[in-house]
Amino acid sequence: MSGERTVVERGAGAGERRTRRKAEANTGVAQPPWGPLRNPLPPLELLDEDGLRRIEDTALRVLEELGIEFLSEPALDVFEKAGCKVDRSTKLVRFDRGMIRETIAKAPRQFKMHARNPERTLTIGDNTINVGPVGSPPNVSDLDRGRRPGTFEDLTNLIKLNQMLTCVHHSGGTLTEALDLPADSRHLDLYRAHTYLSDRAFIGRGIGRERILDAVEVICLSRDISHEQLMQNPSLFTVINVNSPRRVDKEMIAGLMAMTEFGQPCIVTPFTLAGAMSPVTIAGALAQQTAEGLAVIALVQLLRPGTPVMFGGFTSNVDMKSGAPAFGTPEYVRATIIGGQMARRWGLPYRSSNVNASNCVDAQSTHESAMSVWACIMSHCHFMHHGTGWLEGGLVASFEKTIVDAEILHSMRAWLSPLDVSDEALAFDALKEVPPGGHFFGATHTMARYEHAFHTHMIADWRNFQSWQEAGSLTATQRANTVWKRLLESYVEPPLDQGRKDAVDAYVARRKVEITQRGIL
Amino acid sequence: MAGSDDIVLADLSDEELVQQMHDDLYDGLKAEIEEGVHILLKRGWTPYRTLTEALVEGMRIVGIDFRDGILFVPEVLMSANAMKAGMSILRPLLVETGAPRVGKMVIGTVKGDIHDIGKNLVTMMMEGAGFEVIDLGINNGVEKYLEAIAEHQPDILGMSALLTTTMPYMKVVIDALKEKGIRDDIVVLVGGAPLNEDFAKAIGADSYCRDAAVAVETAKSYMMRKHNQRAGTAG
Repeated sequence: MSGERTVVERGAGAGERRTRRKAEANTGVAQPPWGPLRNPLPPLELLDEDGLRRIEDTALRVLEELGIEFLSEPALDVFEKAGCKVDRSTKLVRFDRGMIRETIAKAPRQFKMHARNPERTLTIGDNTINVGPVGSPPNVSDLDRGRRPGTFEDLTNLIKLNQMLTCVHHSGGTLTEALDLPADSRHLDLYRAHTYLSDRAFIGRGIGRERILDAVEVICLSRDISHEQLMQNPSLFTVINVNSPRRVDKEMIAGLMAMTEFGQPCIVTPFTLAGAMSPVTIAGALAQQTAEGLAVIALVQLLRPGTPVMFGGFTSNVDMKSGAPAFGTPEYVRATIIGGQMARRWGLPYRSSNVNASNCVDAQSTHESAMSVWACIMSHCHFMHHGTGWLEGGLVASFEKTIVDAEILHSMRAWLSPLDVSDEALAFDALKEVPPGGHFFGATHTMARYEHAFHTHMIADWRNFQSWQEAGSLTATQRANTVWKRLLESYVEPPLDQGRKDAVDAYVARRKVEITQRGIL
Repeated sequence: MAGSDDIVLADLSDEELVQQMHDDLYDGLKAEIEEGVHILLKRGWTPYRTLTEALVEGMRIVGIDFRDGILFVPEVLMSANAMKAGMSILRPLLVETGAPRVGKMVIGTVKGDIHDIGKNLVTMMMEGAGFEVIDLGINNGVEKYLEAIAEHQPDILGMSALLTTTMPYMKVVIDALKEKGIRDDIVVLVGGAPLNEDFAKAIGADSYCRDAAVAVETAKSYMMRKHNQRAGTAG
């Protein structure tokens, strides 16, 4: 009966297994190893060629006839030099469609995003869906302490928590605003925290030039590389939003110019919420998103041709009774998938988001997030911003929601992985072994693979009702509360050379003195 | 035995051996359990002491970890098989020595219902806990249950159903037990996914068992009560 022996380790077996499994059950969190989320299917073509052409044509008409407002003299200079029609009094720039096509074509279809740990290098632009955590909420929430303004402690906890999640590929940016730190210098604390606590790439703050330069310096010091090396190896994202409709802010342009100067990729994302900042129709909002995105990406390519850049889609709708943003809606799903079609049409890597508008971690937040994630998967978005923790339309970073999202993302990765159809997996012998009406729990085939046969979940509870009730009737959100605490407890800081840490610390200290003396520029 | 390890069971003290048998049960090592039982008997242990201290106690630990989601179903199956092997050595000896019996159960799915995976898991766990189980299989009418009860004189009758359409048949069986005047001689446990506590009460069963682990716990507690009653009467 060698079959019986294959599954057990005699001697140390029982005691060791029991201790290990109990420890796992009481403190552990089951996760697959870190790895890319890839969609092997072709991206979904929701809209046909004629429909896409009509949206694109409207976008080009907007660029030609209406123009985009750039609140930046240096940007106007660049556009003027490139032959665009620039009205200095209104700051409106009008683009010729031929010139737009020629300029956008210079952007790479694909690039690598490098991290301080070379194993965390990401491919941006094939069928890989890279996930980053929530960005920019001023508040945080968890079940124990409720909703509250974000602090540096919350920020570091969120970075650590995401670092522990194997479905997250990027460290993100401002996971929450550290409102307990001075506004002018808190970006330095943010960069230092990402550098120390995560081995993944992060997002710099694109508000003004100086915050980007600081990110560039911190990255170079933490990796002991030169500016030239950084330019060869894109390592920093920033999100450049358009103040839709058709207005691009001075500070954002300054951030974009600094990023481009160092060859770092901007994620250009128009803020097109249909009904408020865009036409009340998704087709119209997408035409606007396309026009605004192309105009800003053109600026990048005029400044430094060939600089990697991403086309960000954020089109959703608003609640027409209150004006509040809505996310994960059917409108959002359509806009996300068609936005991906448009990005591919222009040969640009595409960014989207896992978003919802619920006020707590409940059925609405999970439903809307699941809708959003499906849209990201089907549109082949190359960077899923806000992949974990986003709540309340982006006003809150939730610890429990981080875990719920991770559960969704882990499941997506699992079902998209290749299906084993080897002879062993087809299990003819097992079918032969078990008689009609029997069961497979004890089949030799089962005995050899039951422990890792199926995807393991972090918060799903499949016990029967009474057992679940006896254990306290905990909801998925309450179970997520336990999981994030366990992950934080087991957090280990990724190693970083002390000399590099010292160099980063010295830089941050020097810059804080400078900023205190004269403010941020 | 066929062990690839360097533990020689016969060299262990009684205490170490019992501990090792708990581990071997946990690991589902059938041959090792059989050997352990033989060694203890050879050392003069009574069959009853061997059963309770080495086997039942070991399976109690398995039961706890099954309940708590520490063990997988196939692992519990292995443990139960090892227990069953030890039990088959002990059973004739227990009868000979007049030891108190752990308990006897007749079990089957009711008429119209052929869904028996849950019932099979209960059988496995009950045997694992030392009970003697007469499994009537699937699709049993009243007569089948009555015949088995008459023949085997079980302490417990177990019935299960997966379909809401076959659930009511459990009451038909219980009513037949009442008619025959034997309802109070036997503990009736019912189970199956669509059942609940209230249904069990309404049809006149003793208990509803939501899963195999609970079925064992419930059966044990009824047997304990039965032994105590007997002891009480005797005293």
